Amino acid sequence: MENHDDDTNKVTAFWPDPPPFWRDFTPQNLARYSRLKEDYSQQQGLDADSITRIPDVPEPLINLQPPPEPTDGKWTAFSEPETLTQTLLSLEEAGIQRLAPATETELDRGLVLKKLTRSLMLNYLELVGLMSHNPDHAADKVEDLKTLMFNFHHTLNEYRPHHAREQLIHLMQDQLEAKRREMAGIRSVVDKAKRMIEGLASIQVPQVDHAADVKGVKPGTKDELKPELRRDAAAWEAIGAEFF
Amino acid sequence: MADILTQLQEAMDTLCTMFIAGFYYVERHHDLKPFSPTDKIPELKDAPKEVETLDPQTFQAGQAEIANDLVNHARLIEALVSALPGLDNSERDQLQMIRDLEEEIAEVETQRLEAVKERDEVLEQLDGLLKTVLRH
Repeated sequence: MENHDDDTNKVTAFWPDPPPFWRDFTPQNLARYSRLKEDYSQQQGLDADSITRIPDVPEPLINLQPPPEPTDGKWTAFSEPETLTQTLLSLEEAGIQRLAPATETELDRGLVLKKLTRSLMLNYLELVGLMSHNPDHAADKVEDLKTLMFNFHHTLNEYRPHHAREQLIHLMQDQLEAKRREMAGIRSVVDKAKRMIEGLASIQVPQVDHAADVKGVKPGTKDELKPELRRDAAAWEAIGAEFF
Repeated sequence: MADILTQLQEAMDTLCTMFIAGFYYVERHHDLKPFSPTDKIPELKDAPKEVETLDPQTFQAGQAEIANDLVNHARLIEALVSALPGLDNSERDQLQMIRDLEEEIAEVETQRLEAVKERDEVLEQLDGLLKTVLRH
């Protein structure tokens, strides 16, 4: 690592140099790392793709695997705080008055949305009235409208998980339907093919025996002499079978 | 087409814009009135006009149209809310449904694999048969 340090401090470089650890990604190191990973996955009985980190890698390979997750679940990216688990900020946490009680059933949530819409319309009407008579008091009304809007959007966001589950159910139903259709298609084709085979078999059984006889008795050159004749015979027999 | 929740979010944003547009219209096109009988509406020539007064009929028609649009949009939002999927399913119902569907899919999948196997067998049979036919 020491010999890379002076590279990163170049003043004349137009673009900053890449982080020094790119030098660790040599083909040998990569091969060694993937071997280690394979061994580890076999040891643990896990799928190699599902492993992101191997414990206790040797020093030169340490940069080849991603760093561990932050232990406290928080980090900053572009000076924005991030958390591992993305939770929906509650209205109270965001400093907004909650207009409807927190509900569990989805029917209530739909009702709340409708109520909020009606309230929005009414408040807008009031705002218009205020603006024409007493514009000084309009600011409060605008605040009310804002609170209503935030509540509406928050309720929508609360609905998301439910919505996602509902969509999953739909997807699964579609999948089930597709599988059933495919099966029905296969079954019908198989049935058709079976009927065909049965139809053919009634014609072909003597022929197969005949072919076996012919092959057993006359292998080699003589066999090639009369394919025409034999095909003719088979065709005639087939036609005969058709007539029966 | 986006899912209904996203549609609702967008409809709400549109409603917001419509609220503002309503104010803008009124502010832009209202008429001017004197406060007292001695007031006069000045004729400004050079300055850009703050108000483009429309004749009362057009103005009122415009207002009515905006009000109509707003109400219609609110109705649309309510219709979207009513159309939200699974309003009458609780989380427990949903999870139960998902579990049932999982089982059913697994069952159908085994059946399907059987059917595929059967198809392959029949295909082989048919293949063999065709080969014997071609050999003659």
